[in-house]
Amino acid sequence: MWIDLNSAFATAEQQAHPSLRGRPIGVTNRLSKECCVIAASYEAKALGIKVGCRRTEALAKCPEFIMLETDPPKYHHVYKNLCRIMKDYTPNVKMRSIDEGVLDFHGTKYEGDVKALVALGYEIKERVKKEIGEYMTINVGIAPNRFLAKTAAGLHKPDGLDVITHSNLVEVFESLELQDLNGIADGYGSRLRAHNIFTPLQMLAASESVLKRQVFRSVNGTYWYQRLRGFEVDDVRTNLGMVGRQWVVKNPSNDEAYLRSCLHFLAETTAKKLRYRNVEARGVCVWLSFVAGGSFIDKKTFKVPCYTNEIIWERVARLFDNRPKHMAVRTMGLYLYNLEPSNRSQLDLFGDEQRNRYLTDAIDEINDFYGTFTVYAADTLEGTRHLKQKIPFGGTEYFELLLKS
Amino acid sequence: MDPTIVINQRVDVVVVYRHGSEATDAVMPYKMRYQGRDIMFTRLGMRHPTAQGKRMIHVFDVSDGSNDYRLEHDAERLTWTLVAMIPGAA
Repeated sequence: MWIDLNSAFATAEQQAHPSLRGRPIGVTNRLSKECCVIAASYEAKALGIKVGCRRTEALAKCPEFIMLETDPPKYHHVYKNLCRIMKDYTPNVKMRSIDEGVLDFHGTKYEGDVKALVALGYEIKERVKKEIGEYMTINVGIAPNRFLAKTAAGLHKPDGLDVITHSNLVEVFESLELQDLNGIADGYGSRLRAHNIFTPLQMLAASESVLKRQVFRSVNGTYWYQRLRGFEVDDVRTNLGMVGRQWVVKNPSNDEAYLRSCLHFLAETTAKKLRYRNVEARGVCVWLSFVAGGSFIDKKTFKVPCYTNEIIWERVARLFDNRPKHMAVRTMGLYLYNLEPSNRSQLDLFGDEQRNRYLTDAIDEINDFYGTFTVYAADTLEGTRHLKQKIPFGGTEYFELLLKS
Repeated sequence: MDPTIVINQRVDVVVVYRHGSEATDAVMPYKMRYQGRDIMFTRLGMRHPTAQGKRMIHVFDVSDGSNDYRLEHDAERLTWTLVAMIPGAA
C-alpha cells in the first residue's frame, strides 16, 4: 500500500494557518527574489504554478500568490505522526521520502485480501484527518508491488484511493501516457519511442527480451518487464555511497573570501552528516559550475580517512584552490566518497589524531546542546549568513540532524 | 507575497487542557492579551514541538476566526511568545 501526502508542505501550512486554506500558496526554502516553489497547494497548481516555478513567474500568473518559507519542525511533526499511524498496521513500513511511504502487507493476514486493504486505506485516511489535522489528505494506492501501488496512488489526486490488480491493469494502463509511469522520463521515454513503444500498454505487450536486449540493453529491461506485471523488484536496500551538499550561489561571483566561506560552511555541514552516519571518508570531491558556462571538478582519494571538520576542510580547500580563479561561480558543491565504517575508537600512535577527535566531539556536543552553529569556524561566518539547512526531499535520514538547528 | 508579520513579543496567554481529547487538540491556547487587547482563539491549526538546543518549545498555530497567530511556549522557562501573525484574506 502506497501512502502519499497531498502537496505535503503546502497542505501542512494550510492546516496550521486556516486563513491560507483555499488560497494559492507555495513553500520555498529561502524567500528571495528568484526563489523557487518547492511545494505548491492544489489551488496554486490549478493556476499552473508548479514545483520549480520561480517566484516572479508565480506572481505573474497570480498576483495573490502567497509564498512561505519552509518550517522543518512542522513537517517533521506531520511526518512522525504519519509514520506512527502507518506502523499501527504492519511492521514493514518504509518511508520513501518525507511525504510518502510504503506499507508492505506481504506475510500478513491482509496479503491478497483487497477488500480488507481498501477498508484499511479508508481507515488510515480518517486517522490522518483526525490525528494530524482535518485539512490533511492522502492518496492511497494498493497493488501487488511498489511501482503499481505508487501508480495507483497517483490516479485520483487529491484524496484518492485506487487499487491496481491483474483484473484492471490493462484498463489503468490505457488511461496513462508513457511518461506518466514512475521512472520513465525523457531518457527512457526516447529509448522506448525509438523502438515503437509509445504507450504503457505497448510497453506491457513488449517481450522481456525486447526490453532487455533492445530497449534498455541491460538487466533494467527485465526489471521493467517484471515491474509492470506486479512482481516486486524495488524492495532493495542500498548502501550509503556518498555524503555531500551543493548550493546555488546567492550572488554569483569569483570573490575568493565569499566563496571560501560558503564552501567552508558546506564542508562543515557535510562533515556533520558524515559523523551522523557514523562513517569516515577517504575520497573528497569539489565541483563548481560557472556563470559563463562550463564547470570544474576535482577529486582525490586519500590514504587516511577523515571525519573531522578541520581535516575535511583542509582537503576540500586544497581541491578548491585548483579552480580557475577568474570565473564567477554559479553553483558549488562537494561530496565525500569511499566511505567506510567509523574507526574512531582506534587509538592513534602519535596522539595528534586524538586532539582533533576531542575537539570535534566537544564542538558537536556543544552544538547538540545549545543548537547548531553555536560554535563554528570563524571562516564560515559569511557562509552562515547566506546558507541554511534545506528540507531533505528524498531520503529522511538527516531529518533529525536538520531539526537540531 | 509572504503575508507573515513578525512580532516576537512576550504575551499573556490563557490555556485550556482538555481531558480525554485527541492529541491534536488536548491543549489549546484559549485567549491572549496583546497590546492591551484580548484575542480569543477559536481554532487550533496545529501544535508541534521544536527545540532550541535542548530546550523544548511547543509551537501553537491558532486562529481567532480571521487572523492566524503563531505562539511559542518555552517549556523550560514557561514563557509565551507571539512570534508572528498572518492577517486573514480581506
